[in-house]
Amino acid sequence: MPPGSSPSPVEGNQPPPARVRVTAAGTPRPAAPRAALRLDRAPEAPTSDIRGVYVRSLIRSQLRLGLVFAGGFCLATALFVAAIVLVPGLDAQFVAGVPVSWLLLAFGLYPLAITVGVLYARAAARNEARFRQLAEDDA
Amino acid sequence: MNPATGYAAIAVVSLASALIGFYGLRVSRTTGDFYVASRTVRPWWNASAIGGEYLSAASFLGVAGLVLLSGSTGFWFPIGYTAGYLMLLLFVAAPLRRSGAYTIPDFTAARLESRWVRRVTSTLVILVGWFYIVPQLQGAALTVRITTGLPPWAGSLAVAVIVAVVVVAGGMRSITFVQAFQFWLKLTALAVPVVALLIVVAGGVPGLEARAVLAPELAFPVEAGPHGLDAYRTVSLMVALLFGTLGLPHVLVRFYTNPDGAAARRTTVIVLALLSAFYVFPTVFGLLGRAFAPELAERGQADALVLLLPGLLVPGPWGELLTALVIGGAFAAFLSTSSGLVVSLAGVVSQDLLGGSVRGFRIAAVLSTLVPLAVALVTESAGLAGSVGLVFAFTASTLCPVLLLGIWWRGLTARGAIAGMVTGAMLSGGAILASAAGATAAAPGWLRPLVEQPAAWTVPLAVAVIVLVSLADRRRMPRSADAFLARLHVPERLR
Repeated sequence: MPPGSSPSPVEGNQPPPARVRVTAAGTPRPAAPRAALRLDRAPEAPTSDIRGVYVRSLIRSQLRLGLVFAGGFCLATALFVAAIVLVPGLDAQFVAGVPVSWLLLAFGLYPLAITVGVLYARAAARNEARFRQLAEDDA
Repeated sequence: MNPATGYAAIAVVSLASALIGFYGLRVSRTTGDFYVASRTVRPWWNASAIGGEYLSAASFLGVAGLVLLSGSTGFWFPIGYTAGYLMLLLFVAAPLRRSGAYTIPDFTAARLESRWVRRVTSTLVILVGWFYIVPQLQGAALTVRITTGLPPWAGSLAVAVIVAVVVVAGGMRSITFVQAFQFWLKLTALAVPVVALLIVVAGGVPGLEARAVLAPELAFPVEAGPHGLDAYRTVSLMVALLFGTLGLPHVLVRFYTNPDGAAARRTTVIVLALLSAFYVFPTVFGLLGRAFAPELAERGQADALVLLLPGLLVPGPWGELLTALVIGGAFAAFLSTSSGLVVSLAGVVSQDLLGGSVRGFRIAAVLSTLVPLAVALVTESAGLAGSVGLVFAFTASTLCPVLLLGIWWRGLTARGAIAGMVTGAMLSGGAILASAAGATAAAPGWLRPLVEQPAAWTVPLAVAVIVLVSLADRRRMPRSADAFLARLHVPERLR
């Protein structure tokens, strides 16, 4: 698929995310002025408005997502290695002349890394789709 | 080994790289083409190019050599090289693409609005690039020495000249094509010999019985396996490889050629899969070497395992053909990684010193090749995977923390970034120099691993210094920080 076309296939397969009502501190504003949405045209625009709240929550949720997936990967790796070392007999069992413990360590972690990567890319795109919906509703 | 095989393989790969480079020249016309391929490269092309650029001498020769030499410790290098892309995906890929900057110095300078940050970052990028090119040229020296019998400097010189010519002629656009081609070349050049060797080993082709084959228990002793893992060294190596990838200059530059942040993420997922597929083969090479060529397990010789094993196990013309294939693949590895590094270094040098013109880019490209060539000619390789691992440790302690905090923490200030980069550079650079100079031999036992594998303590210290200095310097937080972070994280269509 051409990279420029949108939305991405990942996002396109997702069910529309549940609508979330977000209220800013104080009275909700009717609609943010269009100019404030164009951040690259007005880099000094104040970010205390509702758009800024959305953006900060997007950054926070993307960071949390990254940390959760990174932590999950490290934990799973540690558990996997511990299992290879602790399960008895893996060193004495040979497949094609190579101990099973060696084969597991040599090839076992790549499927984990790919799985974590695919799941993360989906979740991150979902976060952005949610933000897009909020921002467009607001505009 | 027949020297003609070596000459032929090297000539074909060099010629093919040059041709694709010149073909790309017709497509690249403007300065924008030259620098970032005008940001129109598709995810699959881009992912192949990233893989082609990333898989260096350390991956192609070093991994198998290390598995042969030190057993399952060697598995961690390819795992770390791959998982580094996972970290890149989780924390850097999309925001960095959206930043719109071309080099790491561009990014840090725009984020922190400071000329000094730019200077420090540029210096570090150039240092990292140089010391990453050196092992490539040393790998070339080893390959040429073993396959043709020519003196080692001929290999280093040949790679340096070809890289300079291709980069000067074509710039980034042509490099993207060259790199993508070279990924598939490298994969084929390892996969076909591995499959052939496995068939030979399983089928018992005549001639193989003559070779002394180690019994499995001797080829894969328990103490060299997962049971013998040194926990500190493994963790420290993983810190270096996981975070070092984020700061490699030639890796980051590739992300600017994606059309948008979401495409950058898709590209990275594809890269993860491509790298995982690739690393199966050097690993198998290492395992085969342990069982069938234990006599190669010496320092300086082990890195040649991939080049020598096909000739040892498969006699006759088929063996020569397989050998030619791996030599070609190895040369592709040196060429692609060095040219990727030279492109990104030339980008940094020419923008900072030579005004960012095409002419400046070309002068900078030649400069960026000459310095590492000089270093490679006067030093000797101490294991390709190991020396590349040290470059990762240095990057992880300097550029990576600033990049990560710059993307995710609005409180980062210019002084914090500079303090952290200088601290990380002094600590990790000092440790690397100390162990290179052999100072660790006299050190007490507990200190040795800390110096030889420093990332586990230098990276957290660098991060701590950045955060503390930035907090103390809070009044100088750039006023544009919020707007800049919004630009990094908000999807393009909503800007």
